[in-house]
Amino acid sequence: MDLSVKSAMAKGVFTATVTSNRRIRACYWTMDLEFAGAGAKAFAKFQPGQFVQVDVSGLGLPAEDRIPADLRDVSKRSILLRRPFSFAEVTAGREQTCAELLYCMLGPASMRLTTLGRGAALSFIGPLGRGFWVPPGKRLALLVVGGMGAPPIRCLAKLLRAEYPGVNVIAFVGAKTAASLPFEGQFDEMPEQIDSYIPAFAKFGIPSAVTTDDGSAGRRGFITERLAEWLDEQSAGSQDGTIIYACGPEPMLAATARLAADRNIDCQISMERRMACGIGVCQSCAVECRVEGSDETVYQLCCRDGPVFEARTVVFRTRAAIVEEIGLVKAIQEGQASPTGDEARILEALEHGEEDKS
Amino acid sequence: MRREYSKHWSMAKKTKVDIAVDFAGRRLANPVFTASGTCGYADELADFMDVNRLGGFITKSITLKPRRGNPTPRIVETDAGMLNAIGLANVGLDRFIEEKLPVIAKMSMPVFVNVAGELIGEYTAVVARLAREKALAGFELNISCPNVAKGGISFGRDPEQVREITSAVRAAAGDKILIVKLSPCVTDISVIARAAVEAGADALSLINTFTAMVIDTETRMPVLANRTGGLSGPAIKPIAVYLVNKVYNEVAKPAGIPLLGLGGIRTASDAIEFLLAGASAVAVGTASFLEPDCAARIIDGIRDYCLRHNVAKLSHLVGALTAPSSLANG
Ligand SMILES: Cc1cc2nc3c(=O)[nH]c(=O)nc-3n(C[C@H](O)[C@H](O)[C@H](O)COP(=O)(O)OP(=O)(O)OC[C@H]3O[C@@H](n4cnc5c(N)ncnc54)[C@H](O)[C@@H]3O)c2cc1C
Ligand SMILES: Cc1cc2nc3c(=O)[nH]c(=O)nc-3n(C[C@H](O)[C@H](O)[C@H](O)COP(=O)(O)O)c2cc1C
Ligand code: FES
Repeated sequence: MDLSVKSAMAKGVFTATVTSNRRIRACYWTMDLEFAGAGAKAFAKFQPGQFVQVDVSGLGLPAEDRIPADLRDVSKRSILLRRPFSFAEVTAGREQTCAELLYCMLGPASMRLTTLGRGAALSFIGPLGRGFWVPPGKRLALLVVGGMGAPPIRCLAKLLRAEYPGVNVIAFVGAKTAASLPFEGQFDEMPEQIDSYIPAFAKFGIPSAVTTDDGSAGRRGFITERLAEWLDEQSAGSQDGTIIYACGPEPMLAATARLAADRNIDCQISMERRMACGIGVCQSCAVECRVEGSDETVYQLCCRDGPVFEARTVVFRTRAAIVEEIGLVKAIQEGQASPTGDEARILEALEHGEEDKS
Repeated sequence: MRREYSKHWSMAKKTKVDIAVDFAGRRLANPVFTASGTCGYADELADFMDVNRLGGFITKSITLKPRRGNPTPRIVETDAGMLNAIGLANVGLDRFIEEKLPVIAKMSMPVFVNVAGELIGEYTAVVARLAREKALAGFELNISCPNVAKGGISFGRDPEQVREITSAVRAAAGDKILIVKLSPCVTDISVIARAAVEAGADALSLINTFTAMVIDTETRMPVLANRTGGLSGPAIKPIAVYLVNKVYNEVAKPAGIPLLGLGGIRTASDAIEFLLAGASAVAVGTASFLEPDCAARIIDGIRDYCLRHNVAKLSHLVGALTAPSSLANG
């Protein structure tokens, strides 16, 4: 399959059947799906990094005692819009196409997904957007995962192993703690070296380096620091044959883009935006991108022009803007913001009742 | 709802019902449009439905120059609704003509270009340039966008400005149909409706979104980068039905002007409510995000309704609201 050519397969609304749905750990769940008929055909051509829009508006809530205390309030919200999700693995069979949805329970939609059992039907729009592609001449692919960025990268790992045997692949995986690694396996006793720790990558013969913010698995620190260190250990020389693929929180993507640019390495990243339509008609999901050869920027659409972008084209949002979207408290907890600088200024302004002039 | 459609599906197939309507002198195969800003510029929904089945199509707002729109987040979901603050992001007139018009020319239903701007001169420039295009049935004047600093809603709040912009655009529009789109964020919508009709509007569409705000209690900041956005979706439907009925009784019916009703429509019975309230046609907006073929389902559902209620001509339903019975009141 030539990934540089955009799939001509039309997108559509397809129903899949749930074949299993279970919790991995913490808030992470994995759901296996089966598409038949036209859906099987459409999703057989699914490119890693592409996504789907799932309709959970007809699903009920989990039992009250299964809703974590911190999600009680948001569980009251009704669902109007579909939600974007990637697939972590897609396998095309003769009659069916199977897909794995790896998801995190963090709001009213993802919480409803947890209620589905074997045999349930779920409506998807897809395949949507532009996925990862492999430019000619690549010999080394470095996969960078930040927390819930795992699904599209796992999907890509499978494709690289199946269709690009000449490309060496190493995964760099970061998370807050061992418990928040969205993979199956035992991670608390993990040493620091690069080895076959993460089964989801090991099964394709791909070794991984792991970092956690608190050192509870792998090395303590950020995964981008680990990647930079690894790159600097390699013999100097042309990086033409190397490519970095990344998915994770936007500050991590920004750091990855910076380290790739500094070393002149090709880099593709998968971006996230709030989406209403997912099919390029509502303009909700703008990503600011540089125009090559000028100082200008334009807004591209995450759902249509992305979600995968060349890292050097993306203008990342300021910390303040990211903090605004993901929530200041959550951001501080996740180490993406500290209550100093911009955030402290904003908090202080709010406390003193000042208008935000920006 | 889906189940209800399929139950009557076979019936609709067997009997032919005439659901064509007359809209400002144009015959529409059915009364269902897609709403501006929710279905693209032309045939973007073609992967999901036969767009030529639509009664009419309204483009995303077009401005004279391309517009970037607002920073993100541009949307947030609310209970039974959503806020958007897109900021009229669009490709601008030139690219619209170059890239989208040729596609529109191949579409068989009447197509209306939604026009927005900051100055009256921008509106007239866009309309004058497009008035000669055979592929277009007319224009929808967006004087009700809540998400831009200048123009937009500020035109739509002042009857004098509505009069001025409507007559200027009317003069530029040649023989094309001119629809003026009203904002619900006014003290008396009939005053604005009357001003538009007196200045030459052939039809009115209502409603655009309500200005609204969502606050993230963790950050104590507005969720949208624009602070405020326009509320759309099922949450606004009862208000939209009321306003359509009000404008129908107070302005449209006496003046003989058709209304295009919209706001929260997602089923055929929602659409019928608007027709009964006085709309000659309806448009589907936010609901298309959940079901991209929603408009097609509604067309089928309207046909089923006509069969079940022995409605020979759909126009018999327009404004056919009956008074509540004294029994129900007692
Ligand atoms: C292209 C794409 C692929 C994605 N793939 C996956 C995936 O494979 N697995 C997975 O668990 N999640 C994925 N997401 C994120 C997923 O869409 C959100 O977690 C989901 O919409 C949350 O819905 P909710 O109602 O449960 O929570 P909400 O209450 O809607 O959101 C909970 C939190 O998530 C944030 N959020 C909501 N929507 C988005 C969004 N579109 N992008 C970023 N943050 C958002 C909110 O700001 C809030 O802080 C993906 C998002 C995109 C854009
Ligand atoms: C994402 C989004 C973008 C919109 N863009 C426009 C626009 O460009 N011009 C316009 O006149 N109305 C625009 N609208 C308003 C809709 O056309 C419609 O009036 C409103 O959403 C109410 O209908 P609904 O509840 O069916 O969506 C937009 C609405 C949404 C949700
Ligand atoms: S989500 Fe609607 S344009 Fe991207």
